[in-house]
Parts: sequence; C-alpha cells; structure tokens
Amino acid sequence: MITIYHWLQLSLAIFSIGLYGVLTRRSAVGVLISVELMLNAGAINFVAFNWAQPARAAVEGSLNASRGVDGQVMAIFVIAIAAAEVMIGLAILVALFRKRQSVDVTDLNKLKY
Amino acid sequence: MRLMAPEIVLILTALLILIVDFVFLRANKKYLLWLALTGLTGATCFLFLDWGLVSTTLGGRFATDTISSWFKFVFLLATFLTLSFSSNSFESQKKPLTHRGEFLFVMLLTLVVMMFLISSRDLVSLYVSLELATIPLFGLTAWERTEKSSEAGFKYLAIGALGSGFLLYGMGLLYGITGQTDLNLLSSGLAFGGMMPGGVVSEGIAGNPATWFALGLVMAGLGFKLTLFPFHMWAPDAYDGAPTVVTAYLSVASKATGLALAFLFLFQIFSVQLASMNTIIAIFATATMTLGNFAAIKQTNLKRLMAYSSISQAGYLFMGFLGRDQMSVQAMVYYMLVYVVTNLALFSILTLHIQESGNEEVKGLSGFSRTNPLYAFALMLALFGLAGIPPLSGFVGKFFLFSVAAKHGLYWLVFVAAINSTVSLYYYLRLVRQMYIEDPTPSSKALAKQPLMVFGLTVATAASILIGLVPQVYESIGLAAQSWVGLLGR
Repeated sequence: MITIYHWLQLSLAIFSIGLYGVLTRRSAVGVLISVELMLNAGAINFVAFNWAQPARAAVEGSLNASRGVDGQVMAIFVIAIAAAEVMIGLAILVALFRKRQSVDVTDLNKLKY
Repeated sequence: MRLMAPEIVLILTALLILIVDFVFLRANKKYLLWLALTGLTGATCFLFLDWGLVSTTLGGRFATDTISSWFKFVFLLATFLTLSFSSNSFESQKKPLTHRGEFLFVMLLTLVVMMFLISSRDLVSLYVSLELATIPLFGLTAWERTEKSSEAGFKYLAIGALGSGFLLYGMGLLYGITGQTDLNLLSSGLAFGGMMPGGVVSEGIAGNPATWFALGLVMAGLGFKLTLFPFHMWAPDAYDGAPTVVTAYLSVASKATGLALAFLFLFQIFSVQLASMNTIIAIFATATMTLGNFAAIKQTNLKRLMAYSSISQAGYLFMGFLGRDQMSVQAMVYYMLVYVVTNLALFSILTLHIQESGNEEVKGLSGFSRTNPLYAFALMLALFGLAGIPPLSGFVGKFFLFSVAAKHGLYWLVFVAAINSTVSLYYYLRLVRQMYIEDPTPSSKALAKQPLMVFGLTVATAASILIGLVPQVYESIGLAAQSWVGLLGR
C-alpha cells in the first residue's frame, strides 16, 4: 500500500539529490539537470498531495465527488516553467562556450572581489 | 478585464514593439524607445483611472487593492526611469548594447509579470508570475554576450533557480497542509488548524513542524529575491557582469518584486506565524545590513559597490516585517519608493559614465565635479539620499523603518541599524571625495546631455528630495496601508 509518506520520501530524496548536484557538479549542464530535479521534486509534492486529498464529497457531504485538480495543474505549470528556465540556461551556456570553449563551472572566475 | 487594463496595454505595446522591430528592419530604432515610453505612460494612466480600487477578477485569482496600486506604480516608475537612460547605452559610440527591440520587449514583459505578481491571489499564478519575472532577468544579465556578462547570467540563473526550487518545495508543502491554493483560504487554513476540508495534515496546523519547514523554505526563496544575508551571493556577480542599464533595473525592480512577494507570503499567508518571528527577522535584517555595509567598504568596482549597498538597503527594508500593522506596511512601501527614485538617479549617471569612459572603478570618478559639475551634484545628492542625510527622503524613509523596530521594543536593532548607516556613509563619501577632491585624469571629459536622460534624472532627483519634504506622499501611502491591513483582517 503506497501512502502519501512514500511519495514525500521520494520527492525529498529527489530534492536532496538535486540540491547536492547543484552544489557539486562541475559541468554547467549538470547544474541545469540538478535544478530540473529540484523543480520536479516540487511538482511531485503537488501531484502527490492532490492524489492524497480526501475526496471533497466525503468531507462536505455533497454528491459531487471530486478532488479538484489544483495540484495537477500546478505540476503542468512547473514543468513548463522548468523548461523555460533550462532554455535560458542553455542559451547562456552556448554564448559562454563560444567565448571560452568550456562549460566547467569552476572556470567561471572572472567576477571576483 | 477593466482591472487588468494597465497590464494589457503593456502586453500590447510589447508585442507592437516586437512586430515593428521585425517588419521595419531599416527604420530608425530610436522610435521603439518612444513607443515603449508611450505604452508605459498609457498603462500608468489606466492605473490612475482605477487607483486603489478593491476588486477581484478571474474567480478571485487576480485582485487589485490600494497597496497593489502603489506597487504597480513603483514598478512602472522604475521601468520608465530605467528606459529613459537606456538610450545612452544603445546609441553610444563605444560598445553599444545590441538588439534594442528585443531588449524593450523583454523589459516590458518583465514589468507586466511583476504587476501580475502583486495582484495574484493563488499559488499557481503567484509561482508562474514570480518565475516569469525572474527568468527574463537572467537573459537581460547575459545580454552583452561577453565572457563577463554570460558568466554573470549563468551564476544568477543557477542561484536563482536554486531559490525558486526551495520556494516551490515550500509551496508544495503548504498546499499539502491545507489542501488549498487560494492565498486567503491557505492563510486561514494555516491559522485555524483542522478546519479545512481536504487538508492532508489535519490537527494543530498552526504549530505544526511541517508549517515551519515550509516557512523556512519559503524564506529561503524570498531571501534569494530580496538578497537577504545567506542568499545574497548572486547579487555582486550579477550586478557586476550585467550591462549597467540592467544593473540599475535589477537593483530596483527585482528588489521591489521580492518585497511584493514577501508581502504576499509573510503578511497574507503566514500571518499567524509572523507574530512569533520577530527575532528571526531582526537577525536576518542585522546580518544583511552589516554584511552589505562592511563588504561594500572594500570594493573598488562601482557596480560591485552598488550591489553591496543595495544588499544593505534590503537589510533596512526587512526590518519593516517586524510588525503586521499599518505602520510597517506604510514604512516599507514608502522606503521602497524612495529607494527606487534615489537609486535610479544614481544609476542614470553611472550608466552614462561607465558607458562613455569604460571605466568601472571608483577611481574612474576622480575629478568628476570638474568635468561634469551638474551630474556630480546630482550623484552626490543621490549618494547622500542612500546614506540617509536629513533633508533628503532617504532619511525620512529610514526614520520610519527604524521607528517600526523601536515600536516593537527592539532598541538594539535600531542601534545596530544607526551604526550601519554611519558605516555606509563612509563608502558613499568615498565616491564624493573622488568626485570633488581628486584631480581629473587627462582622459576624463564632459559627458553628453541627452534630453531624455536629463528628464529622467531630473524627475528622479526631484522625487528623491520632494517625497521627503511633502507629507502628502507619506500620508496617502498610510491611507493605502490602512485599508490594505483592514482587508487582511485578523
């Protein structure tokens, strides 16, 4: 029996992997992938909580048994936005690669105080 | 639809600019800027037409009220002033910015989404508008396509995405706890635990660890946007690498967006939890302003110095969240207005100076008063305004923020903030010293006076003086804040 807690553990695990990746990956593409993982963990949260909601009918006593789809809709938006974010990231990486021939984030050291 | 009129006007203007830019390839691109400014003026007119109207549309997901009108006005003003001196960067002889049509398009759409953000009353629209107000800024930061600019853009993107990841996870938890996406229902769900149908966690929500975990994640997300202490590290790099026009826009518009977001989250959603957060907020404010000021002392690069200065300003601003009454709302909105006009007066001169001299160092300003007496004077006024010297509005704004802290009994915070203001005077005066006491270098020359830029500078400087002297501004913000706090209830 899969409960909400299993989903939460999954999303927390993915979120942590993403966070670890953002902080440690040397390749800029790896950083973008890790960011995507973090956002998807958030999306899993929304979908899972939506799934685990008790049907409104049972609570409110109405005949129309529905859970609402707020969480699912949010997940779709999150996916679209994550795509936009990564697109801008890749565009910047292309510009950077043309100048530097590398996407290693440890080389990003022009701006320092 | 009437409520969205300013936003719709701006969207149409942005699309028109893009079409005109593509269709009339050979036309003079100067007119695009005038088109954008006309659109901004039109949107401002529509905003004034329905000023302070309390109403909702789209099933309660889009709401206007008194404070949202003020926020929208500040966003419009910030964009108008930024665009008024952007032509300097586009028409310069030395390394001008390229792609004017797209630049204006992106700027206007960013502005629209910021205006949607303060009006949204639903987690979905809030998240979408927040992201759409942040993602274009990554592109604007990397606009120059030099190594420095791209690097700044990527750093900003990586850290900004990290922040939005935290925020999204926190929002997911909030949705799970209450089963709601509407901000008002969410807030009452967090306040009276167990009363919401559809919530997964049903008992004792107000003191629930999950609520506090969500609050922590949301605070991290807010911190990235507002450049609070542990999450500020993107700011100096992004400000330094971005084209100077974009730096100006980042320093005001992005910060005002962060404030709008914090208003929605801290005042509206976490209204109950905010009451027991005073110590945390005081610590955040102290750490942010102290770090900003002390790091700014060591900077030699003008843009980096302004980045740390803006971090410290965020620290002062954050003190306003100590209370949830009219006084703190009023003080924060007022200070944001003051900060926007003062900072943009400063940046309009810096943009021109950096563009023409190509020198971003503090030393590059030496003898600026000899070559450009009027610009130097305006710059000095702006610097004094940021430091909070009495006749200028910066002082008045800080005074009201500090009195919020004093009202809540945090006298040590007032003391720390006052010390910090004194420290900030040191590095602001260092610029004044460079301008007025050092001799000019042989290469320094008088800067051109473009009518539009001079107009923007005059408006910004006059506003930064008059807002502090004319009490009506503060009073009308007070009335707006009063009605808004009344709307929040409880």
